[in-house]
Amino acid sequence: MEWLANFWATYSTLVYSVGVFALMALSIWLTLACGLLSLANAAFMCIGAYVSALLSLHAGWPFGATLAAAGAAPALVALVIGMPTLRLSGVYLAMATLAFGEVVRIVVLNLEVTGGPEGLNGIPQSTTGWHILAILAVVVYGLLRLQRSRVGRAFEAIREDEVAASLMGINVARHKLFAFVLGAVIAGLAGGLNAHYTFFISPREYGFENAVDILTMVVLGGIGGLAGPMLGAAIITLLPELLRSLHEFRGIVNGLILVLVVLFLPKGIWDPRRLRALFGLGPGRDPGC
Amino acid sequence: MSILRHTLLWTAALLAGAAGGAADIKIGLAEALTGGAAQYGVPIRNGFQLAADEINAKGGIQGSKILLVIEDEQGKKEEVINVFKKLIFQDKVLMIFGPTLSNSMFAAGPVANAAKVVAFGTSNTANGITDIGPYIFRNSVMESDVLPVTVATAVKHYKIKKVAVIYGNDDAFTKSGYDVFKKVLADQKIPVTATETYVKGDVDFKAQLTKIKATDPDAIVCSALAEEAANIMLQARSLGIKAPFIGGNGFNSPKLFEISKQAGDGTFVGSPWSNTNPDPANVHFVGAYKQKFGSEPNQFAAQAYDALHIAAAALKSIKLTGRLEADRQALRDALPKVSINGATGPFKFRPAAPKDGKPGGYDADQKPFIYILQQGKFNLYTGK
Repeated sequence: MEWLANFWATYSTLVYSVGVFALMALSIWLTLACGLLSLANAAFMCIGAYVSALLSLHAGWPFGATLAAAGAAPALVALVIGMPTLRLSGVYLAMATLAFGEVVRIVVLNLEVTGGPEGLNGIPQSTTGWHILAILAVVVYGLLRLQRSRVGRAFEAIREDEVAASLMGINVARHKLFAFVLGAVIAGLAGGLNAHYTFFISPREYGFENAVDILTMVVLGGIGGLAGPMLGAAIITLLPELLRSLHEFRGIVNGLILVLVVLFLPKGIWDPRRLRALFGLGPGRDPGC
Repeated sequence: MSILRHTLLWTAALLAGAAGGAADIKIGLAEALTGGAAQYGVPIRNGFQLAADEINAKGGIQGSKILLVIEDEQGKKEEVINVFKKLIFQDKVLMIFGPTLSNSMFAAGPVANAAKVVAFGTSNTANGITDIGPYIFRNSVMESDVLPVTVATAVKHYKIKKVAVIYGNDDAFTKSGYDVFKKVLADQKIPVTATETYVKGDVDFKAQLTKIKATDPDAIVCSALAEEAANIMLQARSLGIKAPFIGGNGFNSPKLFEISKQAGDGTFVGSPWSNTNPDPANVHFVGAYKQKFGSEPNQFAAQAYDALHIAAAALKSIKLTGRLEADRQALRDALPKVSINGATGPFKFRPAAPKDGKPGGYDADQKPFIYILQQGKFNLYTGK
């Protein structure tokens, strides 16, 4: 038991990060499920993190209330910028959302209240494993239910063919906006949780690189289901730590593994069809050979 | 389950063996060895290695050798927290040196402070670092201790009446340098004719410099990293600006004259370390560093080298019991009393003022060296 306590003391932050980035990956997965390639989620995470941190630091709000604000603030922003930008599609949407991300970063960098490039420090450590687990569970359950619902089916129809979907009577713009705003809520919650266990946030953490990192998690894990993004988030977060003993070669091996996975598993690691095929073959064969 | 238990037992046995068998003193070193901050992290690691080798060659501390457990924190906040936790809870080090950047210390310092382990920064110059708590130490001299001296010396030398300011506003280091300059200029009642900004990655500063030129300042105060500063100097001279520059800690790099050649002549810079300081401790350090690593040491290596000697002096004054928590606490209590004469000159600690009634850590109490750039070289300013 002492070993377990020691392990938790060493790696609790890492486990928290897996949970938070699983939330981030799910938030991008949600927009992808509706056929939107949006890179704004790192910016929504940024808004959530700053809003909740500022409320904790200056207004002294309880943690639950700051988390609620961390979800609500990016949702409002997403509603405002979503209406015009979601009319774009494909790479144009990616560009618009990328630009939005830069705008957010630069605003945070130049505001007095956010501490500019020096960021905010001394944020109370309020996040516990249970908070992350509970929010992750609620989000996963909600998304599972959503997938099976009318709205989820509509998302799928929009992703497959927008025109056909609209001819079926689906309000494409509304559904897209809903996916975008819901994704922003999840990303904002992740940001709020993250700010409250790392003591410190700065605009550097929410730049273009991070937006791409989060997208990588989803692509690596696979977009077929909810398990894929979470698996991808876990791998991308844990891999550098697992490779720590390689010292200088860590970055190279880390990149190599990602390249190999994408080359040989283009649909991501969690590909239900391939797994089912593997599973179907399994019992028929002699495990010895 | 039995396999798991087996593994646990083996791991425990191995850990116990590693801790009990050797009498090494384990000291953690968390620095950015890859990524953008590696340009500071690598010289820091070299400085520590040099000091550790020297201390061990002289018989170590009361017969036990210093063992550095070196980890790369990449200058990222999650990474640095993970590294700190690994060093504290798994490697069970006595104390930690690092991290490289002030921002990383804001993220990881609270972890060490809560675990009652000393975190000793050698390169964190931001204000508020030692407000984190009583286990936070640094021997890096704050900008707010260096810049007033630099500015006052330059003002006296050139009889400066008014200055212009240029700084990078999207970088934590250059922005906090600017904040200090602003306060210093206000304190010393020197009017500012123009304040211009740039962002990281800019290469053309002519627009800002043209505006500055129009206000005809006696000197240009510049909070920038070495590469940008060198470009600013070159372009200022090409625009015909003759005013000298006054710089912050970012100027302390050989890169400055590699790029600017002699455009920066007349610039005033303050630094906690001088490579030409004739003190025997410094001459020895510079020689040994060149011999071991084949390159010129810089300020960061010198501060790292001194930091380990400070810790060694504290360790020599206490008796290690082998009980980790007691030893960590004893080291923490012994550190503030240390004073040494190292590569950066005479050094002692100064307690940080308590903030909100909570006790703070310890800052460096050291006098900076003031340089003037002449013929593309840093020369110690002697007042003539």
